[in-house]
Amino acid sequence: MASIDEIKKVIVDFATNTKKTKFYFKDMEKAVQKVIPDAKPREIKKAATALVNEGTLVYFSTGSSTMYGLKGRGISLETEETGKAD
Amino acid sequence: MAAEGQEKLWETKKYDDVRIYSDEEIWNYTDEELANYKCKHDIPLLEELEEGPWPSFVSDIKQEALHRHKLPPDKLMIPADVCDDLLGQVELSYVEKETHWKHGGIVGVFGYGGGVIGRYSDQQEKFPSIWAFHTLRVNQPASKFYKTDYLRALCDIWEYRGSGLTNMHGSTGDTVLLGTHTEQLEPIFFDLTHDLGVDLGGSGSNLRTPSCCVGKARCEFACYDTQDICYELTMYYQDELHRPAFPYKFKFKFDGCPNCCVASIARADMSYIGTWKDDIRIDQEAVRAYVAGELKPNAGAFGDRDWGPFDIQKEVIDLCPAQCMEWDGKELKINNKECVRCMHCINVMPRALRIGTDTGCSILFGAKAPILEGAQMSLLAIPFIRVEKPYDNIKAIVERVWDWWMEEGKNRERLGELIQRKSIQEFIKVLGVPAIPQMVKEPRSNPYIFWKEDEVPGGWERDIKEFRKRHPR
Repeated sequence: MASIDEIKKVIVDFATNTKKTKFYFKDMEKAVQKVIPDAKPREIKKAATALVNEGTLVYFSTGSSTMYGLKGRGISLETEETGKAD
Repeated sequence: MAAEGQEKLWETKKYDDVRIYSDEEIWNYTDEELANYKCKHDIPLLEELEEGPWPSFVSDIKQEALHRHKLPPDKLMIPADVCDDLLGQVELSYVEKETHWKHGGIVGVFGYGGGVIGRYSDQQEKFPSIWAFHTLRVNQPASKFYKTDYLRALCDIWEYRGSGLTNMHGSTGDTVLLGTHTEQLEPIFFDLTHDLGVDLGGSGSNLRTPSCCVGKARCEFACYDTQDICYELTMYYQDELHRPAFPYKFKFKFDGCPNCCVASIARADMSYIGTWKDDIRIDQEAVRAYVAGELKPNAGAFGDRDWGPFDIQKEVIDLCPAQCMEWDGKELKINNKECVRCMHCINVMPRALRIGTDTGCSILFGAKAPILEGAQMSLLAIPFIRVEKPYDNIKAIVERVWDWWMEEGKNRERLGELIQRKSIQEFIKVLGVPAIPQMVKEPRSNPYIFWKEDEVPGGWERDIKEFRKRHPR
């Protein structure tokens, strides 16, 4: 069974290198399971939550669904609030 | 919904313990001032909406706008004119027939993936006070029982740190706080959790704030304690409520009986509807009293018009969808085996008919609003289950369903859509329940039946050599 640190590392690699700056949990889950096939969704969720709490990942919510992103990559709070990214 | 450990906070806490505004500040304008209030922007189209006979949201927002202008500036953490700018932007949208709200974002409170819905104006120069106008969802208490002390304290916090505008309640059931700026989110969250003892609700790809009917608190039809299970599952699934990892939203709704007062059958991914296993209890004396006109049908709910004398045959017996009732002029008989729990007879004659005593709930899955494939009602999958603390039997079903949906569901696919895509057959296999006639939605249109090997006596493993001995090429 993979440790949480191993899963976190795969998540950060995926979040850094994926073309999209925001991605669904499912996309992240698939990316982790490609590298660590026996990683369970609940373990991946724990790792993702830890990364959010550490400030590495951020949630992006439309109100109806939620995505994850690497903090500082793509949209940031500043660009969102000033509308300069649009 | 009180945060854990603070369930009884408001039994002793008073509004005066946490109040921000004095009585003079709360009642700070006259009816005359309100009638003469002029919004900062011209809003002719919105003002037309005030002219009808109905209550108007425009009048409500103007009322709050005036109130804010008369509060001391040091008692407002976001500008006094947010309500004026809001009216101005809505007027612009009415003129242009386009919204000027940007939707969603990364705003939220630390560690939570839900509860805050980002809203930004795309007309920030015209309406600077509503450059951000985020919505907060606050978990409502079970069945929405409030103390006025709590509501006053909530309004004070929201007037101080937000627009003062609320939506009681959103269709999810939450207390919805409409409009604040980003820097106020953490302080509001702190005040809500520390001073009021409440938590944010669900939004995004989370378990949404569970909601329940009034249940045993006031209703004789309640077949289980809706408030207790709603609270228990809210607290037990805190992680699922605040940290999103589902393919899309997921809703629990608890109805104490098939009258379905929170409309779980139409709205929840997992609907819990109270039911009973034994017979409807009949008080024949009371039935005769209804027939004789001594008791008012529907407890007098339709008493504002003269509908003529009560006709049990026409108004109850003939309307029974299962046609399982009979009235011979003296005695009412019910063939309970055929009863489909429509509740009509019980609603019409509540003094004469009561739900059975062997109670629990039915669990249905997959209701949703029309995004993909149209709206759909829940599917009955568990006809009867006991609803008793600590609800381990129900939690086991919840987790089985979630595991399947998280494994098989596509991004933004509701449980009902997954059941449609993968088939009911597959879903009930996951649940581990047998197929029953009530699951059949319509006569089959597919003429093929695909048997699995273990469903066919002897299976279909064949020895090809043995076969060829009998059937040479």
